[in-house]
Amino acid sequence: MPTTQPPGPVPSGESPLSGEPLPAHEPLLSVEDLHLSIAGRDRAGAERTVHALDGVSLRLAPGEALGLVGESGSGKTMTALSVLGLLPPGARVTSGRVLLEGTDLAAAPDQVLRRIRGEAVGVVFQDPLSSLNPTMTIGAQVAEPLLLHRGVSRAEARERAVETLRLVGLGQPGERMRNYPHQLSGGMRQRVAIAMALVCEPKLLIADEPTTALDVTTQHQILELIGELRERLGMALILVSHDLGVIARRVDRVAVMYAGKVAEQAPVARLFTSPRHRYTQALFDALPERAAGTSRPLATIPGLPPSLTRRPAGCRFAPRCAYATDVCRTEEPAPRPADDEGVHTYACFHPADPAARPAAPGEARPAEDAPASPGTDADVLLDLDDVRREYPLHSSPFTRRRDRRLVSAVAGVSLTVRRGETFGIVGESGCGKSTLGRLAVGMEKPTGGSVRFEGDDLATLDRAHLRAHRRRVQLMFQDSYAAMDPRMRVGAILREPLVVQGVGDRAAQEERVRGLLDEVGLERGAVHRYPHEFSGGQRQRLGLARALALAPSLVVADEPVSALDVSVQAQILNLMRDLQREKGLSYLFISHDLAVVRYLADRVGVMYLGSLVETGPAAEVFARPLHPYTRGLLETADSAVVDSAGETAVDGAPEAGPAEGAGPLAGETPSAADPPSGCRFRTRCPLATELCATTPPEPTAPAGEGHLVRCHFPLVPVAGSAG
Amino acid sequence: MTAEAATPTTPQPAAGEPADDDGMDATPGLARRTLAVFARNRLALLGACLLAALLAFCFLGPLVHPTDQVHTDLDQASLAPGEAGHLLGTTDLGYDMLGRLMHGGQTSLEVGLAAGLLATLFGTVYGAVAGYFGGWVDAVLMRVTDAALAIPALFLLVVVAAMVTPSKPVLILVIASVAWLSPARLIRGEALALRSRDYVHAMRLMGGGGGRAVFRHIVPNAVGTMIVNATFQIADAILYVAYLSFLGLSIPPPAADWGSMLSSGITYTQVGYWWLIFPPGLAIVLVVAAFNFIGDGLRDAFDVRLQKN
Amino acid sequence: MTRFLLKRTGQALVVLFLVSLIVFVLLHQLPGGPARAILGPKATPEAIAHFNHLQGYDRSLPVQYGMYLKRLVTGDLGESYKLNQPVFALLTERLPKTLLLTGLSVVLAALLAIPLGILQAVRRGRLSDYVLTGAAFVAYATPVFFLGLVLILGFAQQWPLFPAEAPQAESVGGILAEPAGLVLPVVTMALGIIAMFSRYMRSAVLDNLGEDYVRTARSKGQSQVRVLARHVLRNALIPLAGLLGLYLPTLFSGTLVVESMFNYPGMGLLFWNAAQSNDFPVLLGVTLVVGVATVLGSLLTDLAYAVLDPRIRSVS
Repeated sequence: MPTTQPPGPVPSGESPLSGEPLPAHEPLLSVEDLHLSIAGRDRAGAERTVHALDGVSLRLAPGEALGLVGESGSGKTMTALSVLGLLPPGARVTSGRVLLEGTDLAAAPDQVLRRIRGEAVGVVFQDPLSSLNPTMTIGAQVAEPLLLHRGVSRAEARERAVETLRLVGLGQPGERMRNYPHQLSGGMRQRVAIAMALVCEPKLLIADEPTTALDVTTQHQILELIGELRERLGMALILVSHDLGVIARRVDRVAVMYAGKVAEQAPVARLFTSPRHRYTQALFDALPERAAGTSRPLATIPGLPPSLTRRPAGCRFAPRCAYATDVCRTEEPAPRPADDEGVHTYACFHPADPAARPAAPGEARPAEDAPASPGTDADVLLDLDDVRREYPLHSSPFTRRRDRRLVSAVAGVSLTVRRGETFGIVGESGCGKSTLGRLAVGMEKPTGGSVRFEGDDLATLDRAHLRAHRRRVQLMFQDSYAAMDPRMRVGAILREPLVVQGVGDRAAQEERVRGLLDEVGLERGAVHRYPHEFSGGQRQRLGLARALALAPSLVVADEPVSALDVSVQAQILNLMRDLQREKGLSYLFISHDLAVVRYLADRVGVMYLGSLVETGPAAEVFARPLHPYTRGLLETADSAVVDSAGETAVDGAPEAGPAEGAGPLAGETPSAADPPSGCRFRTRCPLATELCATTPPEPTAPAGEGHLVRCHFPLVPVAGSAG
Repeated sequence: MTAEAATPTTPQPAAGEPADDDGMDATPGLARRTLAVFARNRLALLGACLLAALLAFCFLGPLVHPTDQVHTDLDQASLAPGEAGHLLGTTDLGYDMLGRLMHGGQTSLEVGLAAGLLATLFGTVYGAVAGYFGGWVDAVLMRVTDAALAIPALFLLVVVAAMVTPSKPVLILVIASVAWLSPARLIRGEALALRSRDYVHAMRLMGGGGGRAVFRHIVPNAVGTMIVNATFQIADAILYVAYLSFLGLSIPPPAADWGSMLSSGITYTQVGYWWLIFPPGLAIVLVVAAFNFIGDGLRDAFDVRLQKN
Repeated sequence: MTRFLLKRTGQALVVLFLVSLIVFVLLHQLPGGPARAILGPKATPEAIAHFNHLQGYDRSLPVQYGMYLKRLVTGDLGESYKLNQPVFALLTERLPKTLLLTGLSVVLAALLAIPLGILQAVRRGRLSDYVLTGAAFVAYATPVFFLGLVLILGFAQQWPLFPAEAPQAESVGGILAEPAGLVLPVVTMALGIIAMFSRYMRSAVLDNLGEDYVRTARSKGQSQVRVLARHVLRNALIPLAGLLGLYLPTLFSGTLVVESMFNYPGMGLLFWNAAQSNDFPVLLGVTLVVGVATVLGSLLTDLAYAVLDPRIRSVS
């Protein structure tokens, strides 16, 4: 493959894309040995160059769907955006070609690229709010590509825009045309963004993390929509994602990227069932889904991806790879075929043996890893009883008291956390789970109900007792960086809880800090550094260390791993689990990620719009959900476990046969300022009746003690069919 | 899974995650890094050099070039630059222009520095109180600053200056009494924002009190904003001195400052005594620009050390 | 929108009330009090006591403030003891002229600063950007009166293109009839505003160019010019309205200097003359009116901002 080649001739006048249709075996897009570097400055202002892509080659047939997966910084987005030359400032293709139907876009002048953008290739970006112009109506924005490329009249463009908005499933498109982006919900905005990308019926759609900013249920709807539209319009798709679950069900082929290179490429089923590159294999093993319910520690990948300011020698994964040998550290592995057809290639000297299948979930459970035995009821640490929290909505001196509207963030939640157990709270954004966490640690006061800790009602504690209580419960923040004073060194940050509580003298405190660093696996020298010098994973370790400084009995962890890449996430989850065993800690673990909660939690609570709709033992709830919302959530979640036939084994899905009212969730969560009457889920529930609209359901336990559900029509398995 | 494969699954210490490659030695303190970033900003360095030069000129210059700035000498009045050994000529009252520039600069710089610092200090305390307590305290304190800010500063200054007999300390107080408003508003916003930072929440959850929040977290994090603002305040105060003098509300002669020098020069524009106008005017421009450059550089320097990567 | 309108107007009313309070307090801080201010420096103590009694100045402060407000509402701002005219009449004559000067300067500044700022943003880091940035810094640091002097020296004396004195006509129309006389005052005022606005535009355009929506616009195949014109410009210009509101006090301060330099018959000149002769009724009257004008002006710009920005406009 030539690394450099003069740019292909560009026929003047006529678009190179309007020629004869290419033969079917010709690729629509072919990326050949692409090198890309980004010139920039580091924090101190010194110049540096990041070699973001180093010899990336990909091919995409017309109508084909390719998934690009990788962790942050792997170059997946850069690869996708280089197709259209939409690179960030300072980024430059240093060599290689990007051939779209024979035209080299890497070398094409701006006019050629402009003709292709929005016409032959459409793009959907990650954040639908910031990606839309806030001061332009969505109608004008959707119609824009037509005016640019098709030379149609305004009226025609408008008509086509309405049509396209209808196609992407936006209700009342005619009226919506006059709306501004901020008037739409996140899911609707992403539909608009898709309409904008598709309005000229492109041959290729590039979707760059299109659902990362969205909730699980909305994510599912958007991915389904993209899949549907792809079939309908016969276009090719490049789906970029960090989430293996998202990729699993939506594409034909997958390319796994690592540190600016393609590590492995294969048809989706092949890749998921028999990965060959050691990185791909390790990535799959680090998924919490793989270890869910097994009490096994997750397989982790130690360390971090290399910094790309220098071109690393040898295989880029070698420093983190358990199988690396001298050859890996000195020579760069070339892509090699895994089969005769050449559809599966990988770049690894010591590939995984496809015959030796990794241990299936549930196998080989070492005796020492027996499930942590949750204590009995006598050992209740935290007890929330009918806790409510309301916030006033735009209050001002001009609002009359009775007109004041309230946002009901938490509406009567009762739960208990016992000594030594992990209670997981799952729910979508805005369901009130973070508020619940803040109430549990006493950062906020409930507007109703009580929060008790070891029998003490927090509301009745006086100042001194409340201060003493702080030692018993600590919070682990989602963004540990924001939770650490940027002007303090790590030593001072970790010592602060001890200083505040007056524990020991300075020498004892410093000794304790060293002990904490040992426990969370950081070097003792870290005390002299500032928080910004640490990576995301290391900061979460620091956050955990600080939370443990006062030896609390309960740690409330609010989305502690949601900002981390899969491999680092596994490190933190393992650490949390190990420390729990050592110290007999309890966790109230809050997350939107079902797989993570399922991996870590002994018992779970599912939250929807401020209320806890279902609680019970984790295995029970995930296997036999009783609430239609829980079931919908489980069916909606994209799993990264694929069987050999290429079908995703619905790993998270219930065992019970399809019950009435099952299926992925439609619609969007209503506003907490104006929650539905009766059961809050009824507006999205397929089983809802009059009763649901009038009477809020009380918790019942139709499937046995300990598994509670708030539903008038719980999904109890039909007698006889349940296993 | 093979026995060999089990190795990587043991949790590894994060040894493989060094953020930098210089080991785990103590990193230089924030002050040193701030200085390093400041020094890399060429305009800021230029500003600092300019300021040093102007200070030396005004305060050390008279030692090299002593002149009589008290007694008038009408024999030597209005000499053009170079005449009779007067490098920059003389004023209408016969003062040596170069010497007067040094003399006037002392007043401008002293009053500007003192008024700027005083205004920042008072404004900071006022804004911090409003921002930290919030609620009604904040509403009342801030409406007062809003109202005072609504009256254009120069009008307010002139009214206040017209009520008093100007002297150096009085001038400092008068200018500070108007100039504290904008730092008050700025610091109040900063205090409001810092109060709700996660690291303050985290500290409260450890059982720490309001005192620790203010002195350990809020104040140290607001210091950068305060210092940057003080620099701009000084620049503004120097301008205010000049404006007041220009409007005839300054310390009476034989004292002088750059503004009053300009003001007296204006009478002679018709006859083309340009040396009465350009030296003091340019001096004001230089010193104000120098402070602005320094402020800009400091802002970058303080920003940088908080950035995430 | 309605909520925003009401809230903003309510705030403006509170601020207006406080402005009047500040002026009232200043009135009482006068050497010798209001009596001295009104009767003049030569009044005898008996006359002052008599005056104070007549005017109610011997009553409690809140009562006095109530009386002061009552007089304000009827337009009674006292009488200038130098010009022997009611302050209110003087102000109604002078205010429109000051507004004319300010308005012309702002329009001129906006016409120049907006394209300059865009140019700087587009050519960021090139020579033209550096030169313009340097010029803006210098303009920032230059006192208005020094700039005015330089312009007079240059364009009224060295090259006598324009008169050094502003038109002295009685009416606004008369002033407009002598455009040559307006050139120097308007340019002097405008240069500072240009420095400020172009700095703002440069950073606003740069910020917007870095936004995701610009990438989206480019992904549709738009050219740089079209992206700037259709997408960036509007988003960068809307906050400029709000900025103008914040800048109003500085603008009015500028008129004080420019009017006294060019002998322009506006409120600033009236104020300056009053300051020279300790004519306190005029000083405080002008201060009050300028304060009120600033409050109303920033209210207007805020409302304009709300109308222009759909994010505020459509919030019910």
